[in-house]
Parts: sequence; structure tokens; C-alpha cells
Amino acid sequence: MTEATENRLSLRARLPGPIRRADPAVLTSFGCILLLLFLGSLYSSNFLSPEYLLQQLKVASFLGVIAAGMMLVILLGHIDLSVPWVMTMGAMMACAAAGFGSTVIAIPFGILCGMLFGLLNGFGVAYLRIPSMIVTLATNVVAQGLMVLYTGGFSPQDSAPQAMRWLATGYIIPGVPNAILVWASVSVAMVFLLTRTTFGRSVYGIGNSERAAYLSGINTRRIVMVAFAVSGALSAFGGVLLAGYASKAAQAMGDAYLLPSIAAVVLGGTSILGGRGSYLGTVAGVILITLLQSILSVMQMPEAGRQIVYGIVIIAMLLLYGRNPASR
Amino acid sequence: MTSTQSQSNAPLLRMEGIGKRYGGVRALDSASLVVESGRIHAILGENGAGKSTLIKIMAGVVAPDEGQMLLKDQAVSFRSPAEAAAAGIACVFQELSLIPDLSVADNISISNPPRRLGLIDRKAQRRLSEEALARAGAGDIHPRALVRDLPLSRRQLVEIAKALAWMPRILILDEATSALTASDVTKVFAVLKRLRAEGLAILYISHRMHEIAELADECTVFRNGRNVASYAAGTRSNSEVVEMMIGREVSSAFPPKPAARIHAAPVLSCKNLGWSDRLRDISLEVRPGEVVGLGGLDGQGQRELLLGLFGVLRGTSGTISIDGAARSITSPGAARAGTIGMALIPEDRKTEGLLLPMTVRENLSFAALDRLSRHGVIDRDRENASIEEMVRLLAIKTAGADTPVGALSGGNQQKVVIAKWLTRRPRILLLNDPTRGIDVGTKQEIYQLLRRLAEEGSAILFYSTDYDELIGCCDRVLVLYDGKIVKELAGGEITERALISSALNVQTEPEAAA
Repeated sequence: MTEATENRLSLRARLPGPIRRADPAVLTSFGCILLLLFLGSLYSSNFLSPEYLLQQLKVASFLGVIAAGMMLVILLGHIDLSVPWVMTMGAMMACAAAGFGSTVIAIPFGILCGMLFGLLNGFGVAYLRIPSMIVTLATNVVAQGLMVLYTGGFSPQDSAPQAMRWLATGYIIPGVPNAILVWASVSVAMVFLLTRTTFGRSVYGIGNSERAAYLSGINTRRIVMVAFAVSGALSAFGGVLLAGYASKAAQAMGDAYLLPSIAAVVLGGTSILGGRGSYLGTVAGVILITLLQSILSVMQMPEAGRQIVYGIVIIAMLLLYGRNPASR
Repeated sequence: MTSTQSQSNAPLLRMEGIGKRYGGVRALDSASLVVESGRIHAILGENGAGKSTLIKIMAGVVAPDEGQMLLKDQAVSFRSPAEAAAAGIACVFQELSLIPDLSVADNISISNPPRRLGLIDRKAQRRLSEEALARAGAGDIHPRALVRDLPLSRRQLVEIAKALAWMPRILILDEATSALTASDVTKVFAVLKRLRAEGLAILYISHRMHEIAELADECTVFRNGRNVASYAAGTRSNSEVVEMMIGREVSSAFPPKPAARIHAAPVLSCKNLGWSDRLRDISLEVRPGEVVGLGGLDGQGQRELLLGLFGVLRGTSGTISIDGAARSITSPGAARAGTIGMALIPEDRKTEGLLLPMTVRENLSFAALDRLSRHGVIDRDRENASIEEMVRLLAIKTAGADTPVGALSGGNQQKVVIAKWLTRRPRILLLNDPTRGIDVGTKQEIYQLLRRLAEEGSAILFYSTDYDELIGCCDRVLVLYDGKIVKELAGGEITERALISSALNVQTEPEAAA
């Protein structure tokens, strides 16, 4: 018996992380995606065309980049509500930098601004011990104020530089928008970070029991700071991509991304209490939400109705996973 | 069958054949107790002798599995503390149960405020609390004062007033004086004596022998969930009482202690370590190859001492030296680092030791991630090798390294907690009650492991609530009382009698030489 278990053990251990960790929630999410596509194809056969699917993936990639950062924070058992304006700030600052003539640093500068706000969030949570919900809500308002101050409340003058447009809408591989490649690279990096690095292990550990992680000698404060900084940077990066797609930054362009980014993470099976979840689930959650939005709008459901369906789906999914006991 | 005669002098409360199990542990086993009006009845016993469970049954907090309670010869059973209180049994618990931001009056009548038309009748409430405070000898406390503004000793009096507001016939005090200073204790005692004169029955649970000698009329000793003796206060000597508290069957075998001690320089030492009022002036030394025990009653500062050494507590005073050089250890991260090499097996494995939903693999490598990685990337081969080694070394029974650690048995979970630190090969191992709630077989494996680690040169500091373990495992035992080391026992001096009497901080005549 021992020999058999050992064989099974080593076989399992050799499987790549995402598959080994695959939990029912991820499979459910992918099942829901297929179901949505099937329902859509009953309505119109266009739903299964490669053009439509690639278009959906491109739209999903903005949300995907933001949800990756959100997932890190949620895995810790925290939340980042500063997404809307950190995202807008990233976009506006990148465009502004380009406006000052330095196209090269436009994108890094936008991301850097987001990272600074993320660090601020992390400092408030880890060192000042303020609940993340409060800190990030406050920094969101601060970012909003700063951006209104900078733009005077109007649409900013600078338009997105060529590099940003290329990143969002250009093609390195014919037919596949670069935004999808960006999302894919961020995803590969995230999977590596979460499954192969000490940082990723520590994030899961802190999310399960911060006390146990601290008593194991983990520098919990630093991990929390870094996670929030990454979340801020990725929010800003999402904003940069979106501005490239729309060819300019706009006021409140991030407002529509807060709920979907949290929902995508949670629908993908990540526990809202932290400590549990796989990145593949978040990818599934992002695609699921993007498809849902697209189908609702193709069916010409009015905005109000869309919001209601949206909320109900999220509650229904939470009922499905959220009530499982903490142990897998 | 006991035939209880209906007499006018029937005892106020009689408990017979009370049994209570928690899972596989028998907390009470056909225990009985008789409580008379106008008497102060002290209850004594070691940690886990069943005192607290008995009181919780009396106060309606837990229900007994078997046995009966007779209140004035009427069989009663309480489903909640409120029912017990209504029947005249009120309890003052060891943890203060007052809400700091409410007034004294609000606190006193919190569970049953006087009402008029469905609203709280503030005037009646104030009158009620004034009466209760006066009875508790605290008439000078204003009912509208906020509890937060009162010093600790006054709060304890409010706590007693709160219990008295129920107009109880039986008042239970569970370690109610453990937070008080000597002068406050005197005040509380005066109040208790007056209440006794008023005809109340008072049950008094304390570990402080001198308090019991001063206060009690009669005493009952508990051991292993049974009442083993009742006697009139003052008729037994301290050493006789200690003798009555001893006498559990020895359930474990221990590895032999090496005869020859290594006289190496201490690897861990601390001088005058203090923290708030929980640790006072603690100085100790642990040498490589030595297993040093921490003894004493539960909650005398042993946990704080281990946490303080491990860098968890803020604002400790005194110095901690490693290899003779003073070091400032500010976090567990600093304590585990190479040149110090300390490890702490924490008290509660479910919340402090393990990440329950995570796998055996993740838990085993969690404390040593820095050693098993290169530039922050985990080296899978090294991780696997280290996990295999630990699973083999400690004989951890698991279906595989990717099993959630929460699915393991308690004993195997505890092995994982120890193994995750052994991965770092610590030089100094601190253990906080590592064998609590695990089976005998695993306990013995842990004893052998500790001895083997010591022989390999580790310094071990080991707190246990089980006296047998201290006797069987330790080369020396430091006994703590009220945050201070009151006694150091070495070699043959470590006996159950010596441990208990120094834990209670009383003198007994020396044991007759065998």
C-alpha cells in the first residue's frame, strides 16, 4: 500500500501546479463559460466565430490584468477598492508623460504611479493596521482628487501615445491582438509567482493564518506591502492598456472595473477570506464575466437590467462556493 | 441508590454521580459535591482535574452527560446560565465579563434589566445596582461611572455585584482573585466573609493555598475528574493536600536521560527578562544538550516567556543572550535566522502552528522557505528531498505530501508542526505544551525525538502542563508562579510532590529518602 501511495504521490507531484491544484470551482467556471457560449450560439452563430472570441479575449485582457493584482490582495484576506482611480491615474499619468515628450517612459511612469499608491495602501494595512477596506477606499478618493486637480475635471488633453495604442490594439502575431499577449504574459508571471516562489507561498500562508505565518518567521508586513504594490501597479497597467485601446484617458474610466475585478477573482474560486484559490480560476472568472457582459449587451438588455443580472449571478456563484468549509 | 430524606437540614445543593466527556476525554467521572448555606467551600485540584467543568455544569454553561443535581432536594437541570441564575446560582468568572464602555449600572443588570413598558427602567436599574454594590462592599462606586474608568480591583467588585444582583443562594468564584493585588484581595475577602454571615453558600476556586487557608470553611480536592477528599479547612497540612492532588497513573514511558551532562557554555540565556506584569525578573540559562522544563500552574507566564524569547512580545525588558552575546530579537524572523537558530513550537497548532487547508508539503517547508529557495524561487528538488526526510524522520502518517494537513490526525499534525521547524535544524528549540491532546504513542515518539535532538546538541526549553512529562523528559525544571521563577529543580529533585508544591508556591516537608 505504501509503495502504491508513494508512486501516486510522486506522479501527482510531477504534474504542473495549476492542474494539481485544480479545484471544482475552476472546473465549474470553465463549465459556465462553455454553457454561456452554447446559449449564445443558439441566439446567433457568430458567438462561436474566431473573430468574436478573439475580440472577447481582447476586451477581457484589461480586466484580466487588473484581476491578477486583485487576486493577490484577496488571497491575503484583504481587498483593494482603490482600483477605479488608481487605474484612471495610471492612464492619465502615462498620457501626460507622453505629452511632455517622453514617449519612452510614458508606460513605466503610469505603472510607477499606480505602484506608489499600492505601496501607500500596503503601508496603511501592514504597518498602521488600518482595515484594507478603509485604506483603499480612502486612497481611491485621494487619487480621484489628484486627477480632478490635474485635469480640472475635464477630459485630459493628451492622447495616448503610439506605444500604448500598439500595446493594446497592435499585432505581433497576425490576428491576435497584443493586449491578449500582454494578459498572457502577466498570467504566466502570476502562475510562476504564486506556485513557485517563496513570495507566493507566503501569500497563501498569510491568507490562511497570519498568526501562523508570522510565528513561522515570515516577514508578513513586507509581503502585504509588496502584494498591494503589485496590485496598484497592475491596476495602473490595466488603465494604460485601456487608454491605449480607447486612444485616450478619460475621467472615471476605471469605475466599471472594480466590481468585475473582485467578482472575477471570487467566481474563479478564490476564497474572499483569503488563503485559497488558483490563478487559473481567476482567468476563468475574467472570461466568464466578459462573456456575460457581451451576451447581455448583444441581447440588447438595457444597462439597468444588465447590472441586476450581474449582481444576481455573483450572489448565486458565491452561494455555490462561498459556503464550502475552509478546507479543500 | 441513595435515598435522600426530606429533612429541613437538607444541603442547599447536592451533586451526585456527575459525568462529562469532551470527545474522548473524561473531564468528570462520577463526581459529587455537597454545598451548604453559610459556608465557604474551597475546591482544589491540578490543571485539568475537572474543577472548571463542574462549575460550568453548576452554572448552566454545559450540560452533564450523567448524574443529578438536587437543589434543596429538588432535582434540577439548567439549560442556560440564565436558568441557573434564576434558580439562585451565580458565577463570577476568572475573565472579567464586564463591557468597558457601558456604565456600572448597565453592566450589573445587563442580562435582565428592570423594564417598564418594554423599555429599560433607568431609575429601578440604578436602585438595583446601588443595592448590589453596597452588598459587594463597593457602595462608593457610582452606578453611572463607566467601567473603563475603574481600576481592576474595583471592576472585580462590580463583577461580584453583578452576580449578587441575581440574589443568588450560591455564589461561585472561579479564580476571581488571580488578577488582584494582595490589598485588593483582602477587601474582597472581607466582602465574602460578610456574605457568608448573610447565609450565602460560596464556592471558591483558587490555586493560592494561603488564600484558601484564610478563607475556607471546608475544602474538596479533585483529581482526574473525581472528588477524592473533602475535609474541614485547617485539618490537613499543605503536604497532605499536595499528596491528595498527586496520584495519576503514569501513562507514558520516557527515554532514559543520559547520566553524564555536558558542561558546555549556555547557548541561550536571559537576564532579568520582564514584560508588563506577566513576566518578572526572569533569568535562565539553557546549555546545548539540555532539556529544560518550564513548570507551574497554567497561566503563570510560561507562554509569555517562550513568546518573549522568540521576539513576539513588544516592550520586554532585560537582555537575551545567544552564545553569551546579547542579541536583540525583534521578530520570529530574526529569531529563526542563522546565527540564532531558534524555533518555537506554538501552543495552538490549529491557528498558530499550521496552515490547515494547505498541504503537508506547503506546511513542512513554510518555516524554511528561505533555505529551500534561490533568489526567491523555490528549488523543488531540495524541497522534495527535505520533505521526504522529515516525513521519514518523524514517521508522519500521510497519504501524500499533497494531502491537506487538516486531514491528518492530531498526533500527525503535531509532528508536522515540529518537523517544519526541524527542517531548519534549529540550535534552540522552544516548545509550548507540544503533547497536548495527542495520543500516547505519538507522545512517546516526541519524547524520544526531543532526547535525540538534545544528544545531537540542541538546547531545548519545554513547557508542559503535564507533570509526568516534566519529570520524565527534563534535566532541569524551572517552576513559574505569577510571572517569576520560584524554584529550580534538577535531576532527582524533580518529583511530582516537589513540582506541585512549588507550583502552588507553598513549602512542604522534604520527601523521605527512599
